Amino acid sequence: MAQPVTVEDRAAVDECFLRRTEAGRLLAADAERVARACHDMAVRFHSGGRLIVFGNGGCSADAQHLAVEFVHPVIVGKRALPAFSLTNDVATLTGIARSQGFDEVYAHQLRYVGVGTDIALGISPDGHCANVLRGLEEAAGLGMLTIALVGGDGGPIAAHPVVRHALIAHSADAEVVKEVHVTMYHVLWELVHVFFEQPGVLAPEVIR
Amino acid sequence: MESLYPFLYADQGQSVDAVLAEVRRSTAEKAVEIVALREEVATRYAGQLLACASEMAAAFAGGGRLFAFGNGGSSTDAQTVSSLFMAPPRGRPLPAFSLTADVATVTALSNDVGFEVVFARQIAAFGRAGDIAIGLSTSGGSANVLRAFDEAGRRGLMTVGLAGYHGGKMAEADTIDHLFVIPSSSVHRIQEAQTTVYHVLWELTQRALERTAVAGTPGPS
Repeated sequence: MAQPVTVEDRAAVDECFLRRTEAGRLLAADAERVARACHDMAVRFHSGGRLIVFGNGGCSADAQHLAVEFVHPVIVGKRALPAFSLTNDVATLTGIARSQGFDEVYAHQLRYVGVGTDIALGISPDGHCANVLRGLEEAAGLGMLTIALVGGDGGPIAAHPVVRHALIAHSADAEVVKEVHVTMYHVLWELVHVFFEQPGVLAPEVIR
Repeated sequence: MESLYPFLYADQGQSVDAVLAEVRRSTAEKAVEIVALREEVATRYAGQLLACASEMAAAFAGGGRLFAFGNGGSSTDAQTVSSLFMAPPRGRPLPAFSLTADVATVTALSNDVGFEVVFARQIAAFGRAGDIAIGLSTSGGSANVLRAFDEAGRRGLMTVGLAGYHGGKMAEADTIDHLFVIPSSSVHRIQEAQTTVYHVLWELTQRALERTAVAGTPGPS
């Protein structure tokens, strides 16, 4: 049976929510970075590119969420844009992990399904996932636009020169980072469409 | 979209800088919106989150397992819930399953019976009294989520629901022990606040289990 709520219990809940406030607010300060990433994504989609998403653990669920967001928009009338995650196919994932090691699970898939006009988006709670970084390296080598959603101090992924847009959720708490990432990718989806409806700003001459 | 960005639709020949400025403004606005929504959820549900987590801890302590389910984006939340309990970044791993993970089962049930039973039939197969069923729906109206709660209620599972808007049919169901309704009409903001709700539930469940372990007794009943 449930125990009575103490002052201490109540303080624990308040602390849980309070821990999220600062990181949530700090996203507003990164609006410029988000806007630039959206613009580059819109340019890629406009020239036929697809969005390929990947991440481990809870971030693999985010990768799938991000993909369905673009393929099946929640706002009726928005066009479907091609996006898929590299975390769905357990046979492929475990097959590559077995033969080449877990660090190669995304890089290998990108090598064979990615093309230069695509967008690679890797998600990592602290910027330290080796396979996510390997995926982004492979993608950059193919000429893809590279985006990383990371947390903490951004880690090696945010600092790596192959990553064109690193969007950092400013918290060391992995759950808080995930919550900011969910807002980030919802905003990425919505704002890509804003650019998409302004064809004048999607100049095809430069693929960035 | 036009009503949200009227400035952009006044003239089709917008410059990149003008669109970037609008997009920046919109990003900042959404950040403020979700922070405020989380505060509202904290005010509305602090007590119920504690009560729910305390019951979940008791269920796990008694050998219960957790089953999470939802559709689309919410299916990815169900997977996050099960992986968070099962393979936590800290604290005690707890038995948890996502009912959306097994594509063979989901497609078999959809093909042979219908999509509305995909979660209920799995609850019937796996669930037993003392387990926990967590269902997520932004509208509160997903038929297969409601059916799963019916089945879970019949079998004596503890039931936890996450919904949005005004709770939809989930708010009318008498099969949900703890219902958390995110008071927003934006699917995106609802999902973001639901993510916070299940993260906080997980954290409070871990805390309750730790305290029980320290006390060395299951606590007063």
